[in-house]
Amino acid sequence: MISLAGRDILHSWGKFIFTGIGLGLLIGVTLIMAGVYRGMVDDGRVLLDNSGADLWVVQKDTLGPYAESSSLPDDWWRSFASLPGVMGASNVTYLTMQVKKGERDVRAMVVGIAQDGPTAAGWPPQLVAGRHITRSHYEAVADVASGFVLGDELKIRRNFYKVVGLTRRMVSSGGDPMIFIPLKDAQEAQFLKDNDAILMQRRRTEENPIFNRPNVPGLLEAVIESQIVNHSVNAVLVRIKPGYSAEEIATSVRRWNRLTVYTRQQMEQILIGKLIATSARQIAMFLVILAVVSAAIVAFIIYTLTMDKIREIAVLKLIGTRNWTISWMILQQALVLGCLGFVVGKITATFAAPYFPKYVLLMPFDSVIGFFAVVVICILSSIVAIRMALKVDPAEAIGG
Amino acid sequence: MKLTPKQRQSIPLIVFVLLLLTIFIFVAVRSGPLAPISVTLSTVESRTISPDLSGVGTVQARYTYKIGPVITGKIASLNVNVGERVEAGQLLGEMDAVDIAQRLQAQEAAIRSSEAVVLQATAKEDYAKSQARRYEQLILTRGTSEETLLSKRQELAIASATLSASISEMARLRAERDALLSQLKNLNLIAFADGLVAARNAEPGSTVTAGQTVIEIIDPDSLWINARFDQHSAEGLAAGLPAEITLRSRQSQTLAGSVLWVEPKADAVTEEMLAKIVFATTPTPLPSIGELAQIRLRLPALAETPTVLNAAIRTLNGQRGVWKLTQDGILFVPVVLGRTDLDGYVQVLEGLQVGDQVVLYSDKTLKADSRIHITESLTGTSR
Amino acid sequence: MAKQGIIIEGLSKQYGYGDTAFLALKNVNMHVAPGEVVGLIGPSGSGKSTLLKCLGAVIDPTAGRMTLGDEVIFDGAWHVKDLRALRRDKIGFVFQAPYLIPFLDVLDNVALLPMLAGVDNTTARKQALELLTALDVQHRASAMPSQLSGGEQQRVAIARGLVNRPPVILADEPTAPLDSVRALAVIRMLNDMAKRFETAVIVVTHDEKIIPTFKRIYHIRDGVTHEEVGEGRSLN
Repeated sequence: MISLAGRDILHSWGKFIFTGIGLGLLIGVTLIMAGVYRGMVDDGRVLLDNSGADLWVVQKDTLGPYAESSSLPDDWWRSFASLPGVMGASNVTYLTMQVKKGERDVRAMVVGIAQDGPTAAGWPPQLVAGRHITRSHYEAVADVASGFVLGDELKIRRNFYKVVGLTRRMVSSGGDPMIFIPLKDAQEAQFLKDNDAILMQRRRTEENPIFNRPNVPGLLEAVIESQIVNHSVNAVLVRIKPGYSAEEIATSVRRWNRLTVYTRQQMEQILIGKLIATSARQIAMFLVILAVVSAAIVAFIIYTLTMDKIREIAVLKLIGTRNWTISWMILQQALVLGCLGFVVGKITATFAAPYFPKYVLLMPFDSVIGFFAVVVICILSSIVAIRMALKVDPAEAIGG
Repeated sequence: MKLTPKQRQSIPLIVFVLLLLTIFIFVAVRSGPLAPISVTLSTVESRTISPDLSGVGTVQARYTYKIGPVITGKIASLNVNVGERVEAGQLLGEMDAVDIAQRLQAQEAAIRSSEAVVLQATAKEDYAKSQARRYEQLILTRGTSEETLLSKRQELAIASATLSASISEMARLRAERDALLSQLKNLNLIAFADGLVAARNAEPGSTVTAGQTVIEIIDPDSLWINARFDQHSAEGLAAGLPAEITLRSRQSQTLAGSVLWVEPKADAVTEEMLAKIVFATTPTPLPSIGELAQIRLRLPALAETPTVLNAAIRTLNGQRGVWKLTQDGILFVPVVLGRTDLDGYVQVLEGLQVGDQVVLYSDKTLKADSRIHITESLTGTSR
Repeated sequence: MAKQGIIIEGLSKQYGYGDTAFLALKNVNMHVAPGEVVGLIGPSGSGKSTLLKCLGAVIDPTAGRMTLGDEVIFDGAWHVKDLRALRRDKIGFVFQAPYLIPFLDVLDNVALLPMLAGVDNTTARKQALELLTALDVQHRASAMPSQLSGGEQQRVAIARGLVNRPPVILADEPTAPLDSVRALAVIRMLNDMAKRFETAVIVVTHDEKIIPTFKRIYHIRDGVTHEEVGEGRSLN
């Protein structure tokens, strides 16, 4: 017995390939959409992983430092560093802002890292080029997603920073690339206003008789000086020695100091449950709709392919082909089309993913699920076509 | 092998399918989470490093003289402007004397009156003296009574006392006049030493309180830089180290200098060590007070040790170390690190030997069982 | 074993029930001997398609008896369980249009039938080639149907109808689209095949070009047949 499905495909392979590619593009789009969703969730996870912290200490009753703004005095880290079980505590600041290079500016998350050295919490865990920051001022490590390269001079507020190192996949939960600069510079960037605002404030202070007392020389200067100095950070990242429980240390910090402390799981819940929840749900809904539409189109295409052959099916039935043989031919074609479409789709998705502005994470698990979904859809849609085919009256081949 | 037309017809299809399958397998194996992690390697080298220090500071004047009045008054005139050089003793300006001239006059009048009083008292004393002498002589000839002699003597005493008092009073008044005169002198704002006028804080006609600075003078040859070095990376900070100074307004120039001293008191709040850096020669034009400067201190080179770039240093389970390349893949080796220089080279005191190959850059965080793919560079051309 | 050809006795077919009942066939009697080619002539609506469909086991007759070859296939009810197998093995169809499978080449179009019957591919193709040779189209065996002329396609169709050596061939207007030369060629071929393979052939037609060639003709009108002797013009 020859393979009727095989012969049909061989005979009109152009149409088959063309249909397969079209189907593949649709499946590819669906896979990418799943990748976009996963990428969003991964952005949040990667932010937490890369900080290297086991605990986040933030201002009391805030969801900070990522979900809400939080401000702590920058010398409180010393009280945590001496707790038993704590390997290290580091100050850190986060500020999402525009970073300029020449004419271009890029939205980035500027991270201020404490000068403890490459293995402190908050420092990037690995680089893809260059070196870590060695000077305590005016050096930066940037993520490649920002488009900056080694040697670039970045302008953050009023200072210039030289890019000495590059990272990959260091992004904020919103997908903005991170730029690491020394903590003191970041504190200045975060809390120090631009020159215009400072001048305004100075003028206002000078006009205030409380601060500008003629018989207290030096008072005005002292007040102005205190206004432009900043000693706050957004959070303290705590690393815990192996063998100690994060929750225990978190509880002790919570009890003694008037602060809020989050463990890794809690931060994940905040980031993924609160910060990106709405966007993620939006994408997820779109993904579902896309999958349904894809399924419908696949079904329609297979149905149409079968209907094109209705005359041949009638003749086959008339000359005595078994129903099973006809059904198997249709089913085979549907499966081949589905597999072809999936292969094209997976390849398209993989090659298109790096071009998206935000991270697209294609997981093998999703591809496997996608494959089975495609197979199931092909089978179900061929069933409809088969029913159509079997209902054909062979008597129609014999004219009235 | 001769192919039938049908077989020939299906060749493009077979080629296409094979191509598709190859790409598919390639995609499945090489991308996504199944893919090996791209890394670059670096060899541990023996190197001497100079653990230079880097800090920032502001230009200050070592000696700043804040010249101002000792009493509250109005400024009458100022003779100098910002940027002018002055000499020690130069008159910089004058305060308005207000009522001092009148008070001096009053004082002079009082002195003259007291001088008259002194004359009067002198005359009275002379008379009492001559009277007392006469009666002394009279008593010898019993020409008068004891009582009269005593009262004459008393009159003499009184007259002497009155004279002393009036002389003292005159001295007092003279001293007050001198005091007023010296106050008058203080109405002159005089430069204490040679220098440069750095600020003129009030204009003639304004009222200033006692102690308020009207003119600031700095010694331009005494400019130094108040430098701050982060405590983490300030090992080796000592007086006498040669310094390279880059002023913010003159980025292309590097000026030479040295560390004058390291402040005994560090800044506990900002966690910085403080030091004073002086210029080897005073730069011209003079840098402005308050200008920011970046400092690099050259430390003597250390002995040769195995070194590695700081990008290779990773953490695993709280330990610092590097991923060493072995025959079976990668192994995490804890290391003890020494000093580091400003280009990122770190001494490895324990854990590695010269010639070991370690992972320098990697795409993702490595684990003990990660599959790696060694390449030349992780960044191609940037977009 | 002597084959008996086609014997139809008292065949009736009723469509609908009660008031809307319509008798398409009324007590039809026909017989065709093996090797004989008879014509079935009638206007449209006369019931000839119905008769063909009954014979072809495509619809169920209402009453009567049909014998095909040596087997009674219908006697008030079907005696055969697998009608499809019956069609495949016992009846050959030739239509107005060749209805070849477009994605199979000529050889496989014909070989398909024995393959469906369970014959292995090589033997099936050998059988097919025999028929194609008999119909003088063996040189087109590896071509696709779309590459053949109308006449060649019709011959292939006939070959397909004959490849399983069925005892019966039902031909429905096989010459309608053809010109007189080709039409006569087809009829000649049918006659030759019929004699050679001892097949009983019924040709439904109203083609004036070939009617004179039949030795026996059945006329059908309003579901009733009556036999006639044909001209029996020679085909050589």
